[in-house]
Amino acid sequence: MPAATTPRFVRADGPDKVTGSGRYTADLTLTGMLAAKFRYAEIAHGRITRLDVSAARAMPGVFAVLTADDVPDVRFGPFVQDRTLFARDVVRYEGEVVAAVAAVNATVAQLAVDAIVVEYEPLPVITDLEAALAGDSLLVHDGWAGYGAGDPVVRDRNDASFSSITKGDVDAGLAEADHVVSSRYVADGCHAAPIEPRAVLAQWEGNKVTIWTSTQVPFDARAGVCETLEMPASRVRIIVPHLGGGFGGKCGFHYEAHIAALARAAKRPVRLVFSRREEFFAPDRRREGMIIDVQTGVRSDGTITARKAWIAIDNGAYTTDAGFFSQLAAMHVSGPYKIPNVHIDAHLVYTNLQPSGSVRAPTAPQACWALESHTDEVAKAVGMDPVAFRKLNAVDTGDIGPSGQTYGEIGVQRCIDEATALVDYGQALPDDEAIGVAIGWWPSFSVPSGAYLKIDGDGSAQIITGAQECGTGAVMTLRQLAADELGMNAEDFELVYQDTSVAPYDMGATGSQTLFNNGRAVVAAAGQVAEQLRSLAAEFLEAAPADIVLADGHAHVAGSPTSTVSIAELAGIAAGSELLIGHGSGTPPAAPPLAGSSCVGDLGMAAFVAPQFSCHAVRVRLDRDTGVVRVMEVGTAHDSGTIINEMGALGQVEGGVMMGIGQALTEGAQYDADGHQRNTGLLEYKLQTCADSPVIRTHFVQIVTPDAGPRGAKGLAEAPNVATAAAISNAIAKLVGQPVRQLPMTAERVWKAMQS
Amino acid sequence: MTFTIATTLDDALAAMAAGARPVAGGSDLVVAARHGKAPLPGSIVAIDRLGDLAQITGTADGVRIGALATHATLMRHPLIVDSYPGLADASALVGSPATRNVGTLGGNVMNSSPAMDTGAPLLALGASVELRSVTGTRIVPLGELWTGPGRNVAAADELCTAVLIPAPATARGTASSSAYVRLEYRRAMEIAVVGAGASITVAADGTVESIAIALTAVAPTIISVTGLDAFVGKPLDVAALAAVGAIASEQASPISDLRASDSYRRHCVGVMARRAAEAAARRAGGELIAIPVNRAFGIGAAR
Repeated sequence: MPAATTPRFVRADGPDKVTGSGRYTADLTLTGMLAAKFRYAEIAHGRITRLDVSAARAMPGVFAVLTADDVPDVRFGPFVQDRTLFARDVVRYEGEVVAAVAAVNATVAQLAVDAIVVEYEPLPVITDLEAALAGDSLLVHDGWAGYGAGDPVVRDRNDASFSSITKGDVDAGLAEADHVVSSRYVADGCHAAPIEPRAVLAQWEGNKVTIWTSTQVPFDARAGVCETLEMPASRVRIIVPHLGGGFGGKCGFHYEAHIAALARAAKRPVRLVFSRREEFFAPDRRREGMIIDVQTGVRSDGTITARKAWIAIDNGAYTTDAGFFSQLAAMHVSGPYKIPNVHIDAHLVYTNLQPSGSVRAPTAPQACWALESHTDEVAKAVGMDPVAFRKLNAVDTGDIGPSGQTYGEIGVQRCIDEATALVDYGQALPDDEAIGVAIGWWPSFSVPSGAYLKIDGDGSAQIITGAQECGTGAVMTLRQLAADELGMNAEDFELVYQDTSVAPYDMGATGSQTLFNNGRAVVAAAGQVAEQLRSLAAEFLEAAPADIVLADGHAHVAGSPTSTVSIAELAGIAAGSELLIGHGSGTPPAAPPLAGSSCVGDLGMAAFVAPQFSCHAVRVRLDRDTGVVRVMEVGTAHDSGTIINEMGALGQVEGGVMMGIGQALTEGAQYDADGHQRNTGLLEYKLQTCADSPVIRTHFVQIVTPDAGPRGAKGLAEAPNVATAAAISNAIAKLVGQPVRQLPMTAERVWKAMQS
Repeated sequence: MTFTIATTLDDALAAMAAGARPVAGGSDLVVAARHGKAPLPGSIVAIDRLGDLAQITGTADGVRIGALATHATLMRHPLIVDSYPGLADASALVGSPATRNVGTLGGNVMNSSPAMDTGAPLLALGASVELRSVTGTRIVPLGELWTGPGRNVAAADELCTAVLIPAPATARGTASSSAYVRLEYRRAMEIAVVGAGASITVAADGTVESIAIALTAVAPTIISVTGLDAFVGKPLDVAALAAVGAIASEQASPISDLRASDSYRRHCVGVMARRAAEAAARRAGGELIAIPVNRAFGIGAAR
């Protein structure tokens, strides 16, 4: 196996993005292109009593106006098929699309949207999770029982997906505890908030459509178009220009089919470009609000005997990929702890709010925030230092986790030691400062993925991959993996990517899976080309293929550095005979076995493949007069297995921490009683800025992990977004004297906690 | 739409007399239009090339700040930093470096937002604006300028050409200074949740000779705190500062919105008034407190 990758991070997309020469979807124009606009429900719940688009259709400059009547009557959704492209009869959240217009420009399109007549019979707006779960609650979906759904999905009325984890006897475990600590935490929903609002451009040629779109998951987007417009995959091509961030918000299938249908009806290319407000309130992809009731039994010596929890997750109006959130949230409220007796119930609850969906580490920042804040309360109840309490109870190599998984070599204990050392935990601090500590975990996602690799006659090489770059640099790092296999430089490889008609399948920039799965595929593809090169070199240098070493752009015979031929020369020879082409997929690691636990509504999240662990330790300062909290310093330690690209990995951790600080302190979607989101702009939805950034120090606990990604790597992109808010909460609780039980912990909420 | 680029002040005033609205940095006008708050006016005259209006000049009476002076200029200008640091504090907090490079003092004042940062220190400093039109020039004290959110007494054809700040007291042994502090949830691209500007003159013995405080984002306009005469002739000690804060809280009439509840605003504006008064008094006493005060002590200070 080649030596560790160079620390240099070569970003093929860097110059394009920095100089402005790169093209994003909204930059693209085609001859005759029309502008698309949507008519949204603008009310959270109502029955459509009148929908009249005739005036809009008659307007000059309007080429197409579509409603549910103009597309196939298909209900779709990855877990529960409760969604349609356009509202049918009932609208269930304010951002639901009722109609779509294509017109000569955006101004005319908006005039046509405004000319559409829609009347509603208002229905009660359901936003309260506990009330929605009550047996007599009004239903968000009257027809829920008739919807198609995956077999393991357990549904009942407004509960779109119920999941439980049971291990041992939780009541007996609580009975044998010396202390039982009960806590309730409530997390508001929040947003991925990518800087690029999404855009889609569609063009038909004959019966084939090409769609340029700002998606993180091109193959998923293609599948959505095929399903809803009833077309085979061979007639749909998805191309992603540079993507301006996603953070999960651009996972899933969203508007590609609407725009394709408009372009077909208009017989012209059609482009949609979202405003910032639309990016906030319309897509079915919001970080889910959550209520967490958690109870832990503990002996006086600090040993946890049992944990019981009840979780309600805001699904919003439709079930996107949130189907597995109930099980994932249950895992995060269990936490990476040795607990003999566990019972956790989690419900995914329909409301009349924007649908929830995977935003970077879905369910984890909120559930970890609740659990780890609770953990500090438990430690306090037995008079233990919270770090010592975690050291005592956190899982270690060989331990059995809360869902019955036995771990191989893992680094959570080392992460606690390293992160706390980075911020000098235990140091004397001014009375307005404190350090909070939290641990978290996250699975790696094992899925199929493919890539090709070729070297052309002039020696230049290409990686043709289905993988999607969303800014993490994971696709960029593929070049380094290939270079190391072939004894070449990363710069020698061109990337051809983000085009479903060119490359084999990949799940996309989702689930921290790009390097984990596609890395394996690229290594396999490069390995095939390496074999070809060794065979050619063996013939050329009159040696055995097994003795050929590929290094520094050359093939040479082991032990005879002067017996050498350049890879470019070999490529020239190959160009006249058998071409240098490799393909790879690699075998995804299997899910580890579970023992001694049972799960209802098991959607594959109880067993963590190549589990990642982290500890974040955060020093904060509190302005006691106002409740304003500032994060001064963060120490993080991550066990994500082998780190392949350290500079890229540090970027992921630092970005995850900044996102976590925003979730902890300043973000949060705010709604009025009618289900309208009020802060749909970047002034009122306060992301953290560079000026707010603390000092962030990171240590990677590198364990070469078997049954994982290339070279023993695990995933990394989501794990840094798990524990930051929790660590901040624990620091605030030390300063305030009690936790702030609602997320985000805004200055006003902190101030109110100080008054009570 | 018509768009005229004025090359002389007379051009600009003529365009305004014909109905044009002025644009300088555009950081309010353009942003409001893009957010759908207010459409762009049908006729616009660009005044950003009127270099004379960007001058900052010390005069016998104080300082004359051309309306086109940018926030980035004001936050570093020696005359402002030395004699009117409260205005520098406020200028340094506006938006981001990009906003401060294009945003102008005249634009900030005439936009007449109750949340504007420069308004409170200017009002506390007793500043006026110079309004010109084709028919003449008049000076309007800031206390008489603003009439409500986004509203002021300027006629449609009047252009703000300068902001005038009177000289600080120079009587023997006295020293004056000012400060502006705001409640903010993040350190860039932020708008004041509440804020307070203070201008204070202290006598040689440390007692207060004069004190003026103005408040941001707690009323339909920037407002002056009244009834501070009771502090004159006394030291501004901890108890006095607390009393200043209490008076400011009492006189605020804040609203509840996305940024804060009315009760939290009322509490916090007292904290801001106390801190602004303390910073201004300490500066008057010769202490060097870096600009902006928000980064120097209180909220989020480095140390």
